Amino acid sequence: MRHALRVIGAEAFKQHRRIFGGPLVVFSMLIWPVLQLATTYYTMLPLLETPGIGQRWPVAAEPVRLLAFLAAGAFAYMFYFSLVQSAWHFSFERISGTMELLFLSPASRFALVLANGTGALVQNTWLAGCFAVAAASASGSLHVAHPGMYAVAALALVIPAVVWGTFLNSLLLFSRDSAFLYTLLDDPLWFVAGVRLPLFAMPFAIKAIGLAFPLTSSLAVLRGALLDAESLSGVAGPLGLLGILCLLLVAGTAALLRIGEARAQRTGSMQLY
Amino acid sequence: MVTAWATLKRNWLVMQRAYPWSYFIGTLGPGVFTIVVALLSYRAIGGGRVSAWFGASSGTSDYLGYVTVGAAALMFTTRMVLWVAKAQITEQREGTLVSQLLTPAMRLPYLLGVAAQAFITSILELCCLLGTALLLGVRLPTPDPVSLAAGILVAFVAVFGLSIPLSAIMIAAGEAHITQNTLFCVVGLLCGFTFPAVLLPAPLTFLGELLPATAAMRVLRAATLHAAPIHQVIGDLSSCLALGCLYAAIGLLVLPHAERRAITRGASA
Repeated sequence: MRHALRVIGAEAFKQHRRIFGGPLVVFSMLIWPVLQLATTYYTMLPLLETPGIGQRWPVAAEPVRLLAFLAAGAFAYMFYFSLVQSAWHFSFERISGTMELLFLSPASRFALVLANGTGALVQNTWLAGCFAVAAASASGSLHVAHPGMYAVAALALVIPAVVWGTFLNSLLLFSRDSAFLYTLLDDPLWFVAGVRLPLFAMPFAIKAIGLAFPLTSSLAVLRGALLDAESLSGVAGPLGLLGILCLLLVAGTAALLRIGEARAQRTGSMQLY
Repeated sequence: MVTAWATLKRNWLVMQRAYPWSYFIGTLGPGVFTIVVALLSYRAIGGGRVSAWFGASSGTSDYLGYVTVGAAALMFTTRMVLWVAKAQITEQREGTLVSQLLTPAMRLPYLLGVAAQAFITSILELCCLLGTALLLGVRLPTPDPVSLAAGILVAFVAVFGLSIPLSAIMIAAGEAHITQNTLFCVVGLLCGFTFPAVLLPAPLTFLGELLPATAAMRVLRAATLHAAPIHQVIGDLSSCLALGCLYAAIGLLVLPHAERRAITRGASA
């Protein structure tokens, strides 16, 4: 445990020196999401004042609630996307030749990928996190059953995101092409996870695909707990699914790390890019 | 003219040998998903209808057609910017910017050559997007051919004009990722691609009018959704042309300074 904590500390320090205060964080984690959120909101606005909207989608009855719904989606998506971005940066370790050194060191592999994801998550999202808390409390759009649900929502967002990040990082032991992550997990991810569209609007097949991504359930918990004043039993379904997905992803990460390292030892591919 | 033709031929050859698939998917994706989200929300949220005020602020009650034309125009914009504005920083990354500066070739024909190749490619890619929209069940009315051709031409001038100052910023800053994506987000919000720009707060609507893509978008919409004859869109056509040429002129004036800066900083882009 102490060993793992040292790895995590070192990685966190590295991520801090690498990311903190860089313009990429401000733009990709605050300015772009806010601009895209505004675009999504205005694009949906013409559909709200239609007859029967109250029965189809109660959220859309008031523009503020719709904005809160979409903002929660954008915020959760940003958490997950920051880890996609961090996994993309993890592949730069290949280019600078430090990936091989990491795996020559006695550091626990799991702690390494976990720390890499967590460190990047903290450095990337603190700014948007502060912004979101300020915006949510100023707009008064939060409806929470009891204070404990804040903790539930936060944990349901952070823990699966970190697990997701470790999984993505371990995936990159195999591939030298990290651009596929960017392309594959940007637009399709927000689409299937219901970031900009309520799940009931989607065809069954897309909903089923969406449930395989932890973002979908994280988002369901976040919106349920913070916007719809659901109690713990109200979000038990998505929470249970999140637990199962996290276990699967952790198991997958452990397996991928073993196979990936054995393969790298055989092929010497860790310094290729 | 020789320069433009030579650049066009070179870029065409490069594109044939190494087509940038990831950019293609990366620009087709947002377009397709914008249309799909509009389609799904139109059915499930709007119940197949759109608010009464939408017709007054956009000039049409065809929400899906409105969003589809906008998504296509946005894809055209991003794709053209990715080719034209990034032409010089790509030369810099590949180490050929210095040789480009040493040749007696002028900048404008060089950029026109790049843009001509980008235009042909982007139109072909646009057909992929519109084909997908057609498969998804979006139906567009028959456009007025003359105004549509004029609209595409001024859209070309608009995007070409925007790209030149952007190219200057990119080579001066030695950075493309942040600059290009910020531009895409700003243009996507301000220029009325997927919703009428009058919905925005008044200062933002005004800022949108300063970008030539806003007027180009109005021309394209009028031509495709209303089959408007060309004399109805002449005002927007000329304001778009004027703005596009203004941006291009500013860009060409700034470009030599940006190039000097890029060279003195070294080839570490």
